[in-house]
Amino acid sequence: MEEKVLEILEEHCEEALDYDGDSMMEDGIIDSFAVIQVVSDLEEVFDIEIDAKYVIEENFCNKEAIIELVRKLLEE
Amino acid sequence: MQLLSGSFIILWMISFALYYLVPQKIRWYVLLAAGIVFYAAGTGGVPTALFVTALTTCGCGLFLRNSFEKQREALAACDSKEQKKQIKEKFAGKRKRMQIIYFIINLGLLVFYKYTIAALPYFQKVPGFSTGFMERIVMPLGISFYTLTAMGYVIDVGRENCEAEGNFLKILLFLSYFPAVTQGPFNRYAPMKEQFRQTHEFDYGRMLRGIQRFVWGAFKKLVIADRIGIFVDRVFESDAASVPGSILACAVVFYMIQLYADFSGYIDMAMGVSESFGIVLPENFKRPYFSRSVAEFWRRWHITLGTWFKDYVMFSFVMSGTGRKLGKTFKKKWNGMGRHAVPIIGTMFVWFLTGAWHGRTAGYMLWGLYYGVIMSVSLVLEPYYPLWKKKFHVGAGKGYAFFCMARTWFIVFIADILIRSESLAQAGAVFRAVFTRLEPTALLSKTLTSFGLSKYEFLLLFLALLIWLAVSVFEEKGKDVRACLAARPVLLRWSCYYGIVLLLLLTGIYGGQYDTAAFMYQSF
Repeated sequence: MEEKVLEILEEHCEEALDYDGDSMMEDGIIDSFAVIQVVSDLEEVFDIEIDAKYVIEENFCNKEAIIELVRKLLEE
Repeated sequence: MQLLSGSFIILWMISFALYYLVPQKIRWYVLLAAGIVFYAAGTGGVPTALFVTALTTCGCGLFLRNSFEKQREALAACDSKEQKKQIKEKFAGKRKRMQIIYFIINLGLLVFYKYTIAALPYFQKVPGFSTGFMERIVMPLGISFYTLTAMGYVIDVGRENCEAEGNFLKILLFLSYFPAVTQGPFNRYAPMKEQFRQTHEFDYGRMLRGIQRFVWGAFKKLVIADRIGIFVDRVFESDAASVPGSILACAVVFYMIQLYADFSGYIDMAMGVSESFGIVLPENFKRPYFSRSVAEFWRRWHITLGTWFKDYVMFSFVMSGTGRKLGKTFKKKWNGMGRHAVPIIGTMFVWFLTGAWHGRTAGYMLWGLYYGVIMSVSLVLEPYYPLWKKKFHVGAGKGYAFFCMARTWFIVFIADILIRSESLAQAGAVFRAVFTRLEPTALLSKTLTSFGLSKYEFLLLFLALLIWLAVSVFEEKGKDVRACLAARPVLLRWSCYYGIVLLLLLTGIYGGQYDTAAFMYQSF
């Protein structure tokens, strides 16, 4: 699962892979368009629904947080 | 009551003293009382619209909380998967209906106040139409700001991203928090609630930092923004057809700086006041004119408004049932490019709303549309940028970085002609003058000093801008100017403090009664 998430990130926001901070959205690493594309691909690949309530800084602060979000949604 | 007025300073001093004198548990009442006094003084009466918004916000939040609790109880008592789905849908439907009613009431109030006043001159021209009732309407102070803040809270509660507040007075404090009520920044409830609850002991260093930031904001407002304003107003009051294009271009560039100095000056003052109470507000500006793209510019300019629209409008639309359906349809139809369709629709919608929120004129609508188109085009072209950079061997040097910044300035320059001009006709005349008869020598002639600012005033302005630029470059490198100053020897440190205060007192633009000009964003 992690590999697939990283592949999606690489496609839409390569910088996110090397980012080691904890505020990717605020730091301008990932913009809102990239977030939308990443969400769309995550939904398609993992057959999950990512509601707008999950698209917050906390869940998109770095690649680990995105992986954690997908894991959480897969478990639900 | 302006943030830069004697009465505000007195209110700040009294509330500051009371805040640290009363027990921690009731300190938030001091802030609430200060907010009500500030607000009532600003509107000259009972803040009815604010109370209505606070009451409906609190009520809606509680309704949503109760609905989630009842839903959880109903789900716990049910085993069937199908039934659980039905229960969720039933409660979600009720919550949605309540939120729609809430939005209609509050957006209705905002639109009513904002557009009734704007429509007054047109109604006055209608024969036999009595406008007496409309003339008595007073725009509630900060309604554009507190309405969006309140709506954000309700959406957060509806998404379960924020706990609903049961105490009406705390919601009222959140919406009327006096440093931020008139021009923002837009606050989120969860961090504000936590800060109102925390113990803030009196701290001399923090107080000093708060005052420093306030003074720095006043410097930007009084020495830079209001001085530039004299020139810009005089140029735009003139007939654009008779003013050289270079002077008009200079006025537009000055307007770009004026708007930034005015608004960021206000934010610095608001943050300084708030910091003295131990409450940190979110940053609203991060040196936007260093941006290398328009998208970056809007991530650095009025940050809290941008994140508000992104979180509550853009993502809500794209991830809604309609957004998803549209996304799938477009993807099927246009394959690769189809994926951009929904973000583009969302972007255009967000920018239309941003334009309508900022102003009520056609110029603002066009301004929103202009930025929407630019953002959408850059979204589509983004994948090609690396290829172009490679092909033309650009992208790494300082020269290219400067080119990108200059390109951003130019895009903002065009946008600001639309919002600074009194009408679209004037905007057209300004465009014609700037692009067809620039007459650059006018900048070196006496024409430049015939619009209210003397040579001495220009020199002073230049000096103030240099100080601001130096501070900005320092901050852009990630340094905290106030912390660096605090670490310097006492003589140097206090020389800098006194220097800025002296410059502010001696060269600030004051009215006859030491009343400053109103803040520009206050009218949005």
